[in-house]
Amino acid sequence: MQKAFLFLNIALTFASMSLLSLQHIVKQYGNYRASDDVSFEIPKGKIFGLLGPNGAGKTTLIRMITRILYPDAGNILFNGEQLSDKHTENIGYMPEERGLYKKMKVGEHLIYLGRLKGLSQTQAKENVNDWLKKFQIETWFNKNIEELSKGMSQKVQFIATVLHNPDLLILDEPFSGLDPINSKLIEQEIRDMSLKGKTIIFSTHRMEQVEEICDEIVLVNKGKKILEGGVKELKQRFKENKFNIQFNGEIKNGLLNNLNVVEQSAGEVTVKYNEEHRGNELLKLFVEHGMEVSSFNELLPSVNEIFIRQVETN
Amino acid sequence: MKKILIIIQREYVTRVKRKSFIITTLLAPLGFFALISGSVLISTFSQGRTDVAVIDDSGLFKDVPLPDADDQTVYFHRVSGKVDEFSAELPKAEKEKRKYQAILYIPANFNINNPNNPVISYRYVERPGMMKKQFISDRMNDAVAKLRMKMLNINEEVQQQMEKKFQLDYSSLDNQSEKKGYTEAAGIAGMVMGFAIYISLFFYGTMIMKGVMEEKTNRIVEVLTSSVKPFQLLMGKIIGVGAVGLTQFILWIVLMAVVNLVAGIIFGAAIHSHTPNMGNMQSGGLDADDIQLLMKNLSSLPFTQIALLFPLYFLGGFLLYGSLFAAVGAAMGEDGDQQSLMIPITVPIIISIFIAINVINNPDSSLGFWGSIIPFTSPVVMSALLPFRPVWWQIALSILLLIGGFVLTTYIAARIYRVGILMYGKKITLKEMGRWIFART
Repeated sequence: MQKAFLFLNIALTFASMSLLSLQHIVKQYGNYRASDDVSFEIPKGKIFGLLGPNGAGKTTLIRMITRILYPDAGNILFNGEQLSDKHTENIGYMPEERGLYKKMKVGEHLIYLGRLKGLSQTQAKENVNDWLKKFQIETWFNKNIEELSKGMSQKVQFIATVLHNPDLLILDEPFSGLDPINSKLIEQEIRDMSLKGKTIIFSTHRMEQVEEICDEIVLVNKGKKILEGGVKELKQRFKENKFNIQFNGEIKNGLLNNLNVVEQSAGEVTVKYNEEHRGNELLKLFVEHGMEVSSFNELLPSVNEIFIRQVETN
Repeated sequence: MKKILIIIQREYVTRVKRKSFIITTLLAPLGFFALISGSVLISTFSQGRTDVAVIDDSGLFKDVPLPDADDQTVYFHRVSGKVDEFSAELPKAEKEKRKYQAILYIPANFNINNPNNPVISYRYVERPGMMKKQFISDRMNDAVAKLRMKMLNINEEVQQQMEKKFQLDYSSLDNQSEKKGYTEAAGIAGMVMGFAIYISLFFYGTMIMKGVMEEKTNRIVEVLTSSVKPFQLLMGKIIGVGAVGLTQFILWIVLMAVVNLVAGIIFGAAIHSHTPNMGNMQSGGLDADDIQLLMKNLSSLPFTQIALLFPLYFLGGFLLYGSLFAAVGAAMGEDGDQQSLMIPITVPIIISIFIAINVINNPDSSLGFWGSIIPFTSPVVMSALLPFRPVWWQIALSILLLIGGFVLTTYIAARIYRVGILMYGKKITLKEMGRWIFART
């Protein structure tokens, strides 16, 4: 009995680990399969990168999560429940191609979108004021949308996405069109949300952002999932055992004889070391040869490199 | 349902608050006002005065009266002298001030029994307008007629007897004697209602279409559809715009009544003194008595029936076509250049107004019957038929089919709409739209 309870507990804990679970999702447009048996889990409270080249089927997947489209086959679970319309109020979606009604004022527009997500008029107004205050743009409340610059309306769109305090945020290229300062602001908000336990799906082409922001990623290409895992774990998985050693003085004779040198320049050498051996051994070798090592780094592949390699081999 | 209400509220409030709404709502009655006052003013003042020198070489018309025009546009002056002398006296260019602006010449050998050879001639510098020409011809014809009767020794009393008109009595077989002039009144009322629906279908239909295109073009639709179903969005928009239309109609009726009152006070005298004139000028036109009769008959139209059914047909037609306009808006490209997609919607509306015009003249025709039954034409055609009291089962059948019709078009439109709003960068054909009806999302 006690054992069974323990199992149940573990099972529940495991189930509650992922906020969203996609199971064997298939979506077909005519002869074209936009999603081909795609399954993955999106863990709670994590920033999750959904990556893939153009036309890979990212938007189709996102549209099925936001219930704009429905899968032809497969299951989507939200918090362990079958995804249904009631969950859309718990999702905030910022599409890549986004816009606002030009003939409305910022305040009334945000309140409208908040109400469509199930907020009451007063609650929506309160939240709008809080967010405008947070971004120090309270004066925008009565501004016409047409008067906003692209960057300004991006901010308004971001507020619209988070206004109803959803547990799941889906951000498709959230930084496009933003200047570095506003990019930083939004990035900070995304991190804060994540710290508050919100789950974030982040879709982008800009890999350096993925590396900076995402905890886990899934890579899709031609409708199929081709890779998934934690960013750190993937870097380890795809590493090529390359080490970069910087030193003072000249290379001692014979030191590089048995090593696979990839690149060499004054005061620096990059070596591909055999897999069974750890980096420590390489460092030891250098020290034993009396080298004065100033820096020793394992070269891990960037997400960009992994991305390109995986897409090309697929 | 709650979300549809929120959408309706936005669609309504943003439109009603717009400057363009306020402007069109105010301008339409002003336009109406301008039309009334303008037509009065134009016919009163802008025609200009023509002084006609009448040279009667035949001497026949010496004692025949030639009254001037009541609206002060044409004055006849009998003069004696040679035509050439007077011709030389006419102004050389338009607008030049001279005593006479035209000559009416009756030749010496004018023969009353053969007035076309030789003819009475009218010479002018400034070409007379249609109304003036008509007036001068009528005056001369009257004069010739009077002259003839005089030559035949018919005295004035007999002349008046001969000119008296009489009225036929029309009545149906079940002895329901028709009020005099009812058909005309019903025709006018029918035409007004038919046109009201026809114009509002286009006006508000286009408004819906533009709204959908706006949402698609500025890409807000993806955010919206992640919160509400496309069907809710579609219904919210159609009902919201419908409410805008209703508001505008009510405001127009109120404003027109006010304008009518004001216009009546300001131009009342002018209209009153002017109306009989127009009657004289357009032979067979309405005179003051006819207008009075018309007003009396308009008040005896089946008002309860019209008050119940006209809004129903308005609503039915609006729902039927509104959803189709929305579907086309969803399929249009971002530049909105695919006007050809509108043809399947606009053609039936235009056909229905043609049927309505025909129906007014032949209320019992089979064209009218079918037009009032088929849901695509019934809103316009049946509205035009209502004053003619169609039989109850025709109305019942028509309403049933209209309800079925808009349920069907709304269903089809919603299916096209949900695919169309998320489709970018592709020129859509009607065939493609047809495929969307059966597509899965």
